[in-house]
Amino acid sequence: MLSENAIKNRAACRRCWMCRHLCPIGLKTGRENTTPRAKGLMLDLVDKGREYSPSMAADMYECFLCGACASGCETGFDSRIFIREARTWAVAENMVPVAVTALLDSLKKYGNIFGVPTGKNTAAAYAADKADILFYAGPTATTKTPEMVTAAAKLLVKAGVPFIAWENEPVSGAELADIVGHVDETVESVKPLLEKIKALAIKKVVVLDPYQAKVMRHDYPEWGLELGAEVVTATAFLAELVLQGKLSPTPLKIKNATYHDTSRLARDLDETQPARDLLAAMGIDFKEMFLNLQRTRCPGDEITAAHSPAIVELTVGARWDDVERCGATTLIAACPTSFHLMDVYRPEGKVTANLYELMAEACGA
Amino acid sequence: MQRSDYLFYYVLTQLEDAVGRENVSTRQSDREIHSVDNFLLSRLWEDRGMPPALCDIIVRPGSTEEVSKVLQIANYYKLPVTPWGGGSGSQGGAIQVAGGVLVDTKRLNQILEFNEDSMYVTVGTGINVQQLEWYVNERGYSLMHYPSSMGCGTLGGFLSHNGIGVLSTKYGKIDDMCLNLQVVIPNGDVINSSPVPKYASGPNLAAMFLGSEGTLGIITKASMRIYKTPQCRRFRAFLFKNITDGLACGRDIMRYIKPSIMRLYDEAETASIIKDVLGFAAPGAFMNLAVEGIPEIVDIEEKIIKDCCAKYGAQDLGADYGEKWWKNRVTFFFPGHALDVPKVFGTLDTVATYSNIEKIYWARKKLFAENYPDVRYIAHFSHWYEWGVMVYDRFIIDNPPVDTAEAIRLHNKIWVENVRLALANGGTINHHHGVGIKLGHLMKEMFGPGMQVFQGLKEKLDPNYIMNPFKMGL
Repeated sequence: MLSENAIKNRAACRRCWMCRHLCPIGLKTGRENTTPRAKGLMLDLVDKGREYSPSMAADMYECFLCGACASGCETGFDSRIFIREARTWAVAENMVPVAVTALLDSLKKYGNIFGVPTGKNTAAAYAADKADILFYAGPTATTKTPEMVTAAAKLLVKAGVPFIAWENEPVSGAELADIVGHVDETVESVKPLLEKIKALAIKKVVVLDPYQAKVMRHDYPEWGLELGAEVVTATAFLAELVLQGKLSPTPLKIKNATYHDTSRLARDLDETQPARDLLAAMGIDFKEMFLNLQRTRCPGDEITAAHSPAIVELTVGARWDDVERCGATTLIAACPTSFHLMDVYRPEGKVTANLYELMAEACGA
Repeated sequence: MQRSDYLFYYVLTQLEDAVGRENVSTRQSDREIHSVDNFLLSRLWEDRGMPPALCDIIVRPGSTEEVSKVLQIANYYKLPVTPWGGGSGSQGGAIQVAGGVLVDTKRLNQILEFNEDSMYVTVGTGINVQQLEWYVNERGYSLMHYPSSMGCGTLGGFLSHNGIGVLSTKYGKIDDMCLNLQVVIPNGDVINSSPVPKYASGPNLAAMFLGSEGTLGIITKASMRIYKTPQCRRFRAFLFKNITDGLACGRDIMRYIKPSIMRLYDEAETASIIKDVLGFAAPGAFMNLAVEGIPEIVDIEEKIIKDCCAKYGAQDLGADYGEKWWKNRVTFFFPGHALDVPKVFGTLDTVATYSNIEKIYWARKKLFAENYPDVRYIAHFSHWYEWGVMVYDRFIIDNPPVDTAEAIRLHNKIWVENVRLALANGGTINHHHGVGIKLGHLMKEMFGPGMQVFQGLKEKLDPNYIMNPFKMGL
């Protein structure tokens, strides 16, 4: 059931312990099953005659796919490859855990995993009738953090950037890909988005949510899909606008702040500097967390938060501990998921802020 | 334990009451992933599709009090208890050969006190050591305990097998770094050792548990020394004509100073691993060293090293290879570089005085040459004391027997013969990987009547013999 590439990575991980210190879930739950070693070993046992069991399938969903383990592998193996395929396998064997099945039902009904209608993209209210730049927010941002969407849209207007935005965005396939893997259904789900982009001759997609940007930039080519437009993260796009003098933020008075590198930006998209450039442009003298840049600790993803909230409560707590360790009281995030989850489990006395609202304030947008 | 037994559910629900239902598991997949540690035979067993040695119940206590409750329950029902930290030990110490309860300690990961005044940190022993190192690094300190398994292992695991790191020559073994311990013994009592390790009030209580491999109880808390991050760390590599010159030079260096790193590779390892990882290829014995601390002192230490090496005709290879080794020090252990099944292999590390260490090395080399011509033997010397040094020697069988029983038989025969050679020449069973299930049966050969001390402790503290059965010969 696994591809050759997945088998190669499974074989490497099944007896290797070298990334144990990096798994955000394992470090908090203490459960052995979170390690790539354990997941690889389970699949190896299946290869040797055991049945792929419901508990194994459930364990495959106990992972943020944040890439911490892969980033620490000095010989370049990546457990996410076989974990995703093991999820596909779970679907084929009808062994998807009940709580995850509910997310699939929600995706089918609403196009998101939250079990409620997807929030309207508030950027549409600021959009031009015609432009070759598409602003894409993603379902987490429109549903959970619409204030980030509005702020980012206002900044584009302030910078004089004409863009289009759809009130009801077609899905990017990111969530479905993480739940069921790269299957025909995932590819099919992306086609409405691709068709709209093609029909409107979009040249550039500015993506607010790094989770969506990652799948567009990295996964589409692997799936044989062509977006037909350049994918730019909102952080990188805004940083460029500041560099060009199209946005001129004035200093903000924010003390004791730190910035959270989201794993999708830092590791998957190799982007850590633009957000720091924006913070510097706003005169925010933030403290770096020890686990930052590519070594960042993922506080959780929306999929796990939806099916296993107890785990994400623990992992978000660990990230707040990192904030505390660097002596900060305000956490600034650029990623809708991180901002949302860190805010949901925010300890007393701490403050969450997002880069876009701060920029909008600093720019008078 | 019969899982269909009425009693099973009594035990299960009591354990759930002790640590919370979410921290108890009887799932087949959880039990299976705990059935393989880093011991070669457990990996070989799994690789060849053999039925695993499974525990019955996994519990994950989050505090000393919860560990105490778990051990009281297990002791009452006389159930075997196997502690599991990172599971990265190479001697089979974490394998549940008798079933029963597996106590996974990773939730004992609290950082309880950071004391700059007296330079120590007190933590739960389930903490991941790399995470702890990062914590103290943030504050300008280091544990200076840098084993290659640093990212995988828990502090409790390192304390339990009395481990060591690559900087040991300057900073010591983990027992040198430990100020005090808290241990839960099988009846549930909580023992605290003396707050400090140096005193004249009887034998060192903490030392009774350091290296006891979970056979006497579970270490739940420890205070570890921290060290100021050195202002500089400088590397130097040399090439000796042979290991005899290298060993004599290392011995001389230790009479004057303590490098943090001093690793001497025999000709076979120089020509294989050093060549593969560092790209250095020349006949002879490669040595890399590091000295660290205050620059003015390091200047002097570097001069002493260079003078000593020159005296033995070593070729100075400069700083680059040492720096490269430091950057790649754990690369050796990642997939693609690390030894793994289907090969059969073992690390035979032992320690002896300078008068004896070469005897062991040459005796083992002769043993393999004469009796196992197809088995490769490589070695390096990497943990040095004023009185002697450890040899980290390995055997590698590239094409082991297809029959699993024969592969195990060959593996065990090589181990037994090599340990006996070490014991006959003034060595020990092991230097820093421990004993586990692999070497437990040889403990009596090493200690003779002295084994009564360990047996007496075992019988008094663990009269029902529940703790980590069949490990360490107890």
